[in-house]
Amino acid sequence: MARTASGTQIPELQPGGRLEHWAERHLRYLMLAPTMLILLALTIFPSLYMFYAAVHRISPNPDLPWEFVGPGNFVRLLTDAQFHVALRNTVVFTIVAVTFEFLLGLGLALLLDRFIRRLTFLKTVLMIPMMLPPIAVAITWKIIYEPQFGVLNEIMFRLGLPLQAWAGDVNLAMFSIIVADVWQWTPFIFLLMLAGLASLPVEPYEAAALDGASSWRQFWDLTLPFLKPVIAIALLLRVMDALRLFDLVFILTGGGPADRTKVLSLYIYQVAYRFADPGYAAAISLFVLFVTIVLSTWFMKRMRLAE
Amino acid sequence: MVRKLFLVLAAAASALAISGTAWADFTVLVPSSSEGDGLRAAADDYSKMKGTKVEIVQAPYANVFEQGANAGATKSGVFDIILMDDPWIPFFAENGHLEDLTPYFKQAGMEGPDNDFLSKSLAICRNPYNTGPYVCLPYVGNAQMFFYDAAKYKEAGVDAPKTWDDVLKASQTLTKDGGGRYFGYVFRGGQGNPVVADFMPIFWSYGANMFNEDRTKVTIDTPEGAAAMKTFLALRDVSPKGIESYNANEVGTALAAGTAASSINWPNWVATFEDPSQSKMVGKISYSPIPAGTKPGSSEIGHWTMGIMSASKNKQEAFDFMVWATSPEQIKISAERGNPPVRASVFTDADLTKQEKFRHYPVLMEAIQASTPRPRHPKWPEIENAFGIELSKAVAGTITPEEALKNSQAAVEQITGLK
Amino acid sequence: MATIRTRSRIRETLIRLSAYLTILVALILTLFPVYWIAANSFKFDIDIFAVPPEWLPQNPTLKHYDEAFIQRPFLRYALNSLLVAVGTTIVSVGFGTMAGYALARFSYPWQWRKQISFWILSTRMMPPIVSIIPLYLFFNSLDMLNTKSALVIAYTAFNLPFATWMMKSYFQDLPVELEEAAIVDGDTRWGAFLHVALPLARPGLAATAIFCLIISWNEFLLSLIITLTEQSQTLPIGIAGRVTQYKTYWGEISAAGFMACVPIVIFAFIVQKHLVRGLSLGAVKG
Repeated sequence: MARTASGTQIPELQPGGRLEHWAERHLRYLMLAPTMLILLALTIFPSLYMFYAAVHRISPNPDLPWEFVGPGNFVRLLTDAQFHVALRNTVVFTIVAVTFEFLLGLGLALLLDRFIRRLTFLKTVLMIPMMLPPIAVAITWKIIYEPQFGVLNEIMFRLGLPLQAWAGDVNLAMFSIIVADVWQWTPFIFLLMLAGLASLPVEPYEAAALDGASSWRQFWDLTLPFLKPVIAIALLLRVMDALRLFDLVFILTGGGPADRTKVLSLYIYQVAYRFADPGYAAAISLFVLFVTIVLSTWFMKRMRLAE
Repeated sequence: MVRKLFLVLAAAASALAISGTAWADFTVLVPSSSEGDGLRAAADDYSKMKGTKVEIVQAPYANVFEQGANAGATKSGVFDIILMDDPWIPFFAENGHLEDLTPYFKQAGMEGPDNDFLSKSLAICRNPYNTGPYVCLPYVGNAQMFFYDAAKYKEAGVDAPKTWDDVLKASQTLTKDGGGRYFGYVFRGGQGNPVVADFMPIFWSYGANMFNEDRTKVTIDTPEGAAAMKTFLALRDVSPKGIESYNANEVGTALAAGTAASSINWPNWVATFEDPSQSKMVGKISYSPIPAGTKPGSSEIGHWTMGIMSASKNKQEAFDFMVWATSPEQIKISAERGNPPVRASVFTDADLTKQEKFRHYPVLMEAIQASTPRPRHPKWPEIENAFGIELSKAVAGTITPEEALKNSQAAVEQITGLK
Repeated sequence: MATIRTRSRIRETLIRLSAYLTILVALILTLFPVYWIAANSFKFDIDIFAVPPEWLPQNPTLKHYDEAFIQRPFLRYALNSLLVAVGTTIVSVGFGTMAGYALARFSYPWQWRKQISFWILSTRMMPPIVSIIPLYLFFNSLDMLNTKSALVIAYTAFNLPFATWMMKSYFQDLPVELEEAAIVDGDTRWGAFLHVALPLARPGLAATAIFCLIISWNEFLLSLIITLTEQSQTLPIGIAGRVTQYKTYWGEISAAGFMACVPIVIFAFIVQKHLVRGLSLGAVKG
């Protein structure tokens, strides 16, 4: 007897070949199996490797044995100033970028939903940035930010504002990265919010209109609560991606100037590949993974997303 | 129905898994810049001539190091030859990724590379520097040169800059008159490799060095270092805003577009400067060796060298190719393709030197002969990173020059374990 | 009374105008950088850095398209990207849909449903940067380095969780009664999925597919390590390769970057009516 999630009884199986019978009976496992197997195969090995590597000092020389250092690599995290800088930058980047992406994306979605419902074309155009290769986006912004020849400074010049070095300025570098990221990923939030708005029920709004509730009240009391699950999943996905920002920083600033844009992914990359210290890189990665999982579990519990 | 679907899925999955990798007789890892293009063209010639199939793997610059290190650390024989930037040599050699070439020379009846190669070009190919066995052969003879707009310098009252003081004097005048749109000097201030590469020649020309003679002490925070830092930051003050993110490309562009008067840069840019579709300064840029500080100027060497990976299964074929590719005839062809040579005979070859686009050759040869290698240390990438952070901070003005020297000293001591 | 109505109408018009204005600004900000890549791709190198900038290419040229697509193997890169992206999308959406359906419809012993769902999502949290070394070892031991199949497998690891999650939520929102009716009419459980649920889920499939396509078409880091030659290198690697140690080939990069966004944008326009709807029922509900 198969049972659906909603608890409905499914009638007995129809006659058929034995294999089909068997397959039908175990459908719930068979349908899940390929995904489970692929993910197990592709994540178990990297995870085991990571745990094993994190407690060793691994020489780039393949003839030297791995030296067991126990929690040594994790202890190093406590005193590694570069790691602290990268952690701080990552947190700042994630909070600021995701906040702006969220506010702009939600605002735009509300505007379009209210004022130009029909023009799907326009909505798709607004989504273009998130479809571009991040590497091309990074390079484009590099040309735009270029202090001497870039368009942005040309505009500043025309407006009579002081020219800036943007990605090359200690105080503006992180801001420049954030702007480029917001440009690329606001459309993602915008898309999710549009989708959320499209599936809002109509009746409560009619009732509210009869009661004479202002648009603001309707937004606050109806739209936001209805959108809550959408907002939650959008923020979760964006935060997970923002925590591993790499391409933009790699191309635009390389972590500089003065370490102001060094983020965790870039630091892990440097430790693993430039300094050839995969053990320590694994320890940092485990830390990042741990934080991500704890954060998202907490968040999903709070937002009751797990079901 | 179920069966059909699973069959289709299985077939699709296995079709995807079939890989069509046809490995060549040997494989060479090169960067995707002009050096890689040059060696790729040479490999094509070699294939046609000898009938051996040479596979060229081109990767972005930083990725060549990673690919090489990955292959070395996993003893993967995917690459037989790697075209390396010279500061990587100690890392690859001391971690057992590179094959000692001595037995191959012996078998070929040679003592080692002939002495038509420039001595500085050969010195970096031995590990330890200049004394150990050969682990690679030089292919592209890069060393920094000083590029400047002679007319502008003359306007500013300096005929031919011989010292950093001359450069500073001219640059200060030019930047002041430039009104924020024209600058006397420009350099690579980007954190990491760029800022270090453009600081080192100044550092050396004031008699400073990263390590003492027998490499038992870090000697960054010294009076010589401080003098170099002072000049460096004075040059920063006459450079464009945003220099903190500049790399070779921005520096070259500024010169080609005629918005800056002078800089240190690599010879690869000469071709661009002399190409009217890419430059406004055709024929107007002068090339000279690195200016002097309190000591004679010295440029940073940045050769591209070919070594054999230890895990290679085709070492003899690889060696034969390397010897062929670095022969005088081939180095000359390589020079014609735009990569600076490593042989004295090619540098002085009249066919080349009479051409306008090779007019920098005498200066370049001089620069190589007066060059200094980046400190030969297997942990150089990590040292460069740490030093680069402090220099970047000093350039950005978030710490004082004294702090930069002190922090760099401490960081490098910690990385190298020297105290 | 009349004045109040006029006033409120004026107010309404003003709000409407400022809304259109805001949308217009958003459109300009969105499109300008894209336009700028396109414009630069048609300029000579020297004009890319002209001061003041050339808003329209003054001497348009196809030079960079020739450099990238004729002299350099960018066509080959594009083909690789296409094969890898399509392969990944088929595998991820195919398996992800089945798994998503199973998690949405079936019950499992010991609360497996909840735990498996979370575990599948959590695999996406692993920073890709750390799986590179083990994946390199993995593919090296299978002799699969520098193959497109290796890329498909690696990308599937990142796309499957997403596809499963999206499809699971989509199916959860579809009424189960239709499938039950089909089963009562004599269809098998699998048949009900295939003939009833799947067609209904088409918008969800389209939305999931476009996300998988975008992610695998644009991926950079893994491809950088796994691929070696033009036999398997993808467009982003080709583009990154034109940022060399000495020089950045802006023109070629712009040409390749512009061409790289064309297919995805075209696909997005083809499925645009599914895009919002596919999500509106699906993933966004969590």
